[in-house]
Amino acid sequence: MAKKNNDFDLVNLPEAAQDPEIKQEDFVLQQADKEIHEQRFQTKPTTFFKDSLKRFSKNKSSVVAAYILGFLILLSIVVPIFSPHDVSTGAGDIAFNYLQPKLFDGGTGFWDGTVQKTHIPVDTSKGDNKEDWWPNPTYYKKSGISNYQVGDFEFTTDITEYGKGGYARIGYYSGYGLSSARLDSVVSQDTNFIPELDLTHTTLTLTNFETVNEEKIMAYYEADESAPKELPEHVIPENFELGTTTLLFNYIDEDISETDYQTIQLVDKKVIHNVGSTLINATDTDPIVISDVIKAHTSETKFTNFYFSIVVEGVEGTGADKSVCSLVKNLVIKATGTPSKNEKAYFEGDIFSETIGGNVYRANIPGISFDDAMNFNTRNSKIKVSSKEYVNTGFWSVETLIKYTKAVHMGVCAFASFTYDSYAGSLGLVEHYPVPESKFEEYYRKGWIDYNVDFKTVAGKEVVDESTFYFEIKSDACPVTESDDWQLKASDIVYVASSESFIAYCNVTYYRYLGYDKMPSFLFGTDKTGRDMFTYVFDGLKNSLILGVITFVVCFVFGLLWGSISGYFGGTVDLVMERITDILHGIPWIVLMTIVILHAGQNFGTFAIALCLTGWIGTASTTRTQFYRFRGREYVLASRTLGASDGRLILKHILPNAMGTIITGAVLMIPSVIFSEATISYLGLGFKGMSSLGVILSNNQVELLTYPYLLLFPAAVIALVMISFNLFGNGLRDAINPSLKGEDQ
Amino acid sequence: MLKYSIKRIILALITAFIILTLTFFLVKSLGITDTTFGSKENVKFAFFMKQYYLGYVVYFEEPTAGYGKLLAHISTLEQEYYFYERPLLEQYWNWLGNIVTKWDWGTSVTIQPNASAIDIIAERLPTSLVINVFSVIFSVPLGIGLGILAGLKKNTWIDHFISTAVMIFISIPSFVVISFLIYLLCYQAHILPSIWPTPSEPMSTKVLAFFIPVLSLSFGSICGYTRFVRAELCEVMSSEYLLLARTKGLTKNQAITRHALKNAFVPILPSILAEFIGIFGGSMILEKLYGIPGIGDLYIRAINEKDYNVLMVDMAIFTTVGLLAGIVLDLSYGFIDPRIRMGEKK
Repeated sequence: MAKKNNDFDLVNLPEAAQDPEIKQEDFVLQQADKEIHEQRFQTKPTTFFKDSLKRFSKNKSSVVAAYILGFLILLSIVVPIFSPHDVSTGAGDIAFNYLQPKLFDGGTGFWDGTVQKTHIPVDTSKGDNKEDWWPNPTYYKKSGISNYQVGDFEFTTDITEYGKGGYARIGYYSGYGLSSARLDSVVSQDTNFIPELDLTHTTLTLTNFETVNEEKIMAYYEADESAPKELPEHVIPENFELGTTTLLFNYIDEDISETDYQTIQLVDKKVIHNVGSTLINATDTDPIVISDVIKAHTSETKFTNFYFSIVVEGVEGTGADKSVCSLVKNLVIKATGTPSKNEKAYFEGDIFSETIGGNVYRANIPGISFDDAMNFNTRNSKIKVSSKEYVNTGFWSVETLIKYTKAVHMGVCAFASFTYDSYAGSLGLVEHYPVPESKFEEYYRKGWIDYNVDFKTVAGKEVVDESTFYFEIKSDACPVTESDDWQLKASDIVYVASSESFIAYCNVTYYRYLGYDKMPSFLFGTDKTGRDMFTYVFDGLKNSLILGVITFVVCFVFGLLWGSISGYFGGTVDLVMERITDILHGIPWIVLMTIVILHAGQNFGTFAIALCLTGWIGTASTTRTQFYRFRGREYVLASRTLGASDGRLILKHILPNAMGTIITGAVLMIPSVIFSEATISYLGLGFKGMSSLGVILSNNQVELLTYPYLLLFPAAVIALVMISFNLFGNGLRDAINPSLKGEDQ
Repeated sequence: MLKYSIKRIILALITAFIILTLTFFLVKSLGITDTTFGSKENVKFAFFMKQYYLGYVVYFEEPTAGYGKLLAHISTLEQEYYFYERPLLEQYWNWLGNIVTKWDWGTSVTIQPNASAIDIIAERLPTSLVINVFSVIFSVPLGIGLGILAGLKKNTWIDHFISTAVMIFISIPSFVVISFLIYLLCYQAHILPSIWPTPSEPMSTKVLAFFIPVLSLSFGSICGYTRFVRAELCEVMSSEYLLLARTKGLTKNQAITRHALKNAFVPILPSILAEFIGIFGGSMILEKLYGIPGIGDLYIRAINEKDYNVLMVDMAIFTTVGLLAGIVLDLSYGFIDPRIRMGEKK
C-alpha cells in the first residue's frame, strides 16, 4: 500500500497555510513507477467447509445431536480403556451377577441398586410366626431385604415352590410350540386328562398312560395313600417318536422323590459315551457338585476344562423357547475342586447361540432360580444331568436336561413384598462363610484381628483347643464381622487334614472379603455373568462404531468409483454396470447377509464384507446421477477440448461439483450400518466372541421380564446414538447442500 | 405404456431368475444339511429316495470312488444304498425342472422332515399375511392423517411435536420398541397375551394377540408415511398453482382438497400399493419375539436348524416380494401421472 508522505491537516491549517502558496513540489505522483495490484478483500475469506459449518451451527438440534454423539463416541473410546472391569469374561464370582444399576447412594428407590419385589413366595415351613417366613435364600439374602412385609396364606393358582396343599395337574408335552406357559390351558382343554389331584396325599400311584396323539402323552394319577409310587415299566406308546423325549413326572411335595422320571432316550447325536445321569432337584438349595457327579459315573478324576450346558428339549424354536430359556436361566451349579481357579465354573456361550440340532438349545448360566415373576408354575422342575464326552474337543461337558411338568394347580402359599438391595444381598453380610487360615494370617498381618487357634486330638479327630482359643476383631476394615447374636466360636472352626490348616465359618462382609474398601457400584448394573454393563455397553458401541466407519469408508470409496465410471462413460458400460447393481439391489440385505455369514462365519470381517456388498449401491447411484448431470456441461466440454484426460475430468472437474450431493447421500450410512448389524445380531447371527450393541441386546432379551435394566440401558444407548446420528446427518445434509433443505424431514 | 410395463416385468423376471440362481449356488455350496434324522432309518431312506427321484443324488450298491461326496449309507433288507451328491450344475438343472414341471422347491430336512418346503411356507404364509394386512390397514390412514396434519400446520407446535415423535420412533430399532411393548403391555399391565396363542386358545385371546404385532409393525410404517406425506404436502403448498387457486377465489379448504392433496398423492399412492405387495413378507424380528409361526420366524428357524431347502424358498419369497413391490411402485407412478416414466432413458 502506498505510504502517505505528506500529512496535510485541512481543519487546523497552520498560519502559513491560511494563504496557501502552492508550489510545484507539492504535486508528487504517488504511484509513479510503482506496480499496482488488486487489493485483497478486507473481509475474511470463507471456504465451502467453513460456510457449511456456519450453516450447520445455526441448526440448534443438530448441534446438540453432534455434541451428544461426540460424547458417546468419546465414552466408547475412553470407557473400555480405563474401565477397571474386564468384560471379555464374567466377573468370576457369582456374587457379582445381576447387580442392579446404581448411581445414587440409596434410600430414594431410584437408580440406587434396589428393586421393589412384590408377591414373592415365602417358606412357611420354618415356623408358625411370620417373622420366620423368608423367601428362598438362594435368590434373596436376608441382608439385602428391607421394608419386609409378609401377607397371610392365600389360595392361589399362582403357586410356586413353597405352595402346599391344593391340587395338581400332571402332564407331559413334547410337541411343537408348547411351553410351560401354556401347559395349563392346553391341559384343561383335554378331556382325556384328569385335571386335578389332591396333593394332601403324599403318595401317588401312576396308573396308566395314554397317548392322545403323537406329540403328547397323558398321565393318569390316582391318589392312594397305601400304594407306593412307581412308574410303569413300559410307558412308550407305539407311535411315539423315540429319541426326542425325556419323560419326567414330578409333583410338589415335601417328600420329593428322585425316581419318578424316566428317560426314554437321549437325543444328542454327538453322544459317544453316555456315562450316566443324576437328578438335581430344583427345589434343592444346596449346590450340586458337578465334578462329583462326573466322578460318580466315570473313572476320570482330572478335569482340565469343562463346561456345563443346559439343554431344553422338545421346544420349538419359536417364541416359546423364550420362556423356557428364562426358566433355565438361573440354574445354580457350582463346581468345586479341580476345574477352575475361581472355585466356580460358569457356563460358556449363550442361550440361543448354539443349537445342537433339532430343538435342543444350549444355555449357559450360573444358576437356576426359576424366577418368581414367572407365574408358569415351573419351579418344581427336575433337572437331569448327564455326562457326555465330545471326541473332538476332549472336553467334558455336562448337559442338563430340563423337563418340566405342571404340578401344583392350586394351593396355599404366603407371599411377601419388600425392597431388595442386590448389593447388600450379594456383596453384603454373608453368614457362615468358609474363611481359610491363610486369610486369617493375612488379616493378622494387617492388624485387623488377633487370634489364637490350637488343635488337640480328641477321639482321633482334630478339634480346637477351647482353653487357648482366642479371637478378637481390632479394626472395622476387617471382612469378618461379629454381631450381637453371633460371635466366632471354637465350634465354627474346622480342621482340614489335607492342607494342615483350618477353615473358619464366619460372618463376613463379602465385598471386603473380596478386597474392596467400599461397596462397589455399577452404573448400569451387571449381567448374568457379573459383567459391568456400563463397560460392556460402551465396548459394544465401540465395536459397532468401528464397523460402521469401516463399512462407510469402503462403501463410499467403492460407490464413488463405481458411480463415476458408470455415470461418466454411459452407454454399454453404464448398462452393464446398472444391471449388476440392479441384481445386487434386488437381493434383500438380510438374505445377502445370511448367505455371507453362513459361508464365512460370524466374525467382524464377515460382517464388514456382508455390509459392504450392498452398502455402496446408494452412493454409486447418487454419484451416477450427478455425473449424468455434470458431464455434459460446457466447462467439461471446454476442458476436454483442451485435451484433459478422462481421469482429470472425473477427478478435477466433475467430482468436486458433485461431491456435496454425494456426501449428503452417504452421511446416514453409519447409523444404518449400526442398525443393520444390531438387527442381524438380534436375530441370532451376531458376532461371536465380540460384543456389539445388537449382541448385547440379543443376549439379554431373555432377561426382559426379570431384569429389564439389562435391556433398558443398551436400548437407550442405541436409541440415543441413532437419534443423534440422524439429527446430525440431517443437519449436515442441510448445511452441505442447502438446496435439499427440508426434504424428507 | 404397455410396452414399457412389459419391458419392466421381463427385466424384473430376469433379475429374479439371476438372484435365485445365485442363491441356489451359494446356499447349496454350504453343503447338504444334517440328514441323519435322529438316526431314524426309515425317514432317512425316504428322504434320500425322494432326493434321488428329484435328481439331486444318485445311489450305488457299493462304495464308488470319484463320484463326489458320500451323503449316506443305508442298508435295507433287499439292498445296500450308497447315496452320492450329484454335481452342482446337474442339481441346478434338475431343480429348475422340478420347479417348472412339479412346482417342487425342495424337501425340508429338519423343520418337518420330508415335508415339501413349499407346503411349509404355504402353511405359514397366511399368519404373516393376516398380521401384515391388519397393520397396513391400521398404519396407512393414520400415517397419512398425521402427515397431512403436520404438513398443513407446518411450523406450529403440532408439526414440531409430530416431526419430533417421528424422528425418535424412526431412530429406535424396532426390536427395542417391540421388546418394551411386550414388557409393558403383557408382563406389567397383563392386558395382552405375552406370546402368540395356539389354535386351541379362546377367540378373545386370539383377537388380543393381534395388538402387539399390529402396533409394532405400524410404528415404522406410520412414521414413514407421516414424514413422506408432510414433505410432499409442504412442497405442494408452496407451489405457484396453489397460489393461483387461492387467487381465483377458492377457499383454503377447497384449494387443499382439490389441488394440494391430489398432487401430493402422486408419489404417495404408488408407495401404498407397494406396501400392499410387502404384506407377503414376514417381519423376522417381530415373529421371533412374539412367537408368531409365520415365514419370518421360519426364516430364522431354517438358518438355526440348517434347513437350507426351506431357507431357499423363504429367501425366494422375500426377493420376489421386494422386486414385485419395486415394479408396482414404478409402474403405478406411470399410471397415476403419465408424465413419469421411472427408470426409462431420457
